[in-house]
Amino acid sequence: MQFNNSTYKRLNVLLILLLVLAITSCERDDICIDEITPNFVLRFYDIENIDDTKNVNQLSVQVLGVDNDSLVFTGLDSIAIPLKVTENTTQYILTIMSDNVTNSNRDTLTLNYTQESIFVGRSCGYKSVFNNVTYQLTTDSDNWIEDLEIVNNSITNETAAHVKIFH
Amino acid sequence: MKLLRMLKSFINIICIVVPFLVFSQEKDSIVYKDSYGLRIGVDLYNPIGTFIDADRKGFELVGDYRISKNYYVAAELGTIEKTREEDFINFTTNGQYIKAGIDYNAYENWLDMENSIYFGFRYGFSTFKQTLNSATLNSSPFLPQQPLDAPIIYDNLNAHWVELIIGMKVETLNNLYLGFSFSGKKMVSTKEPDNFKNLFVPGFNRVFLNNSGFGFNYTISYLIPIYKKVK
Repeated sequence: MQFNNSTYKRLNVLLILLLVLAITSCERDDICIDEITPNFVLRFYDIENIDDTKNVNQLSVQVLGVDNDSLVFTGLDSIAIPLKVTENTTQYILTIMSDNVTNSNRDTLTLNYTQESIFVGRSCGYKSVFNNVTYQLTTDSDNWIEDLEIVNNSITNETAAHVKIFH
Repeated sequence: MKLLRMLKSFINIICIVVPFLVFSQEKDSIVYKDSYGLRIGVDLYNPIGTFIDADRKGFELVGDYRISKNYYVAAELGTIEKTREEDFINFTTNGQYIKAGIDYNAYENWLDMENSIYFGFRYGFSTFKQTLNSATLNSSPFLPQQPLDAPIIYDNLNAHWVELIIGMKVETLNNLYLGFSFSGKKMVSTKEPDNFKNLFVPGFNRVFLNNSGFGFNYTISYLIPIYKKVK
């Protein structure tokens, strides 16, 4: 093998270029780290002082029509719960103080929406976002949810609450 | 003084004669010639790839034409069908591509050897279609999963890119060359499908997040000599 000097220089430049290409090419997209289908975010406020958040105790969330254990949240002022992607309506039974038989109180919240599938990427695939969302609280003789304020009619991310719950 | 003058003229004679001696010696030696011509072949990586990975079916023709001592005009022409299974999607890419450019041989051959270690540049173009075979919405695992309507065919897509290549070709039998090369690619522009992405492009292979890619070629080619030229 016989190289002259200028060939070596050209070789080096090309090798460096290739190396740079190789290194910058190694950005991985095998693991999904982007936002996928957003959850429904509720934030709990004090009915007597509507600017202050108020924690919920032993709040159990059951999604109607799904054979799953309830999700139980304790001592939080906001929760994020999944929406059904298999249909355009989700009904939640929100039970406060679910650990206490005498004091527990069930309220039903129904969400209706339209879905839109959006491509995210190789590893994440498609996510769904929810548009034209309507929130409906079923009234009963003793609602623990005293009032409900709609913040957003579309659920596209989880950065802020979609409804405010006053209790 | 006479002696010195004689010595001077003697040195002069040496100075004149010696270069002639050296030159004539060179003229005496055998003249080696380089073959110039069209080298055509096929890519062997695709058949091997098909053997290893049943979801990959491809064929590629390669060719180059020597234009000077170190430079070759080169091109590749290929077709590929590739199915890829990811966590939430399964898709097939189907299309053709052409790459054209220049190879620079950086290898100084001894005697009449015709091997090469080369660097290349290519411009690539591909037309293809993507078929989304199946997809599942990426949603909370707490609730049932929802498959999307499929298959969806995204037609009339295309891509332009550039490549840098490093490779070698070795003459194994008379005029028969085995070669391999490695390429780094960078996408210039693509026509992307609506609500999907060109995750694989024929000729470019897997499209990484920052629109770059890699390639590996293993080729067998035959040189059709057209003329010979003194080195």
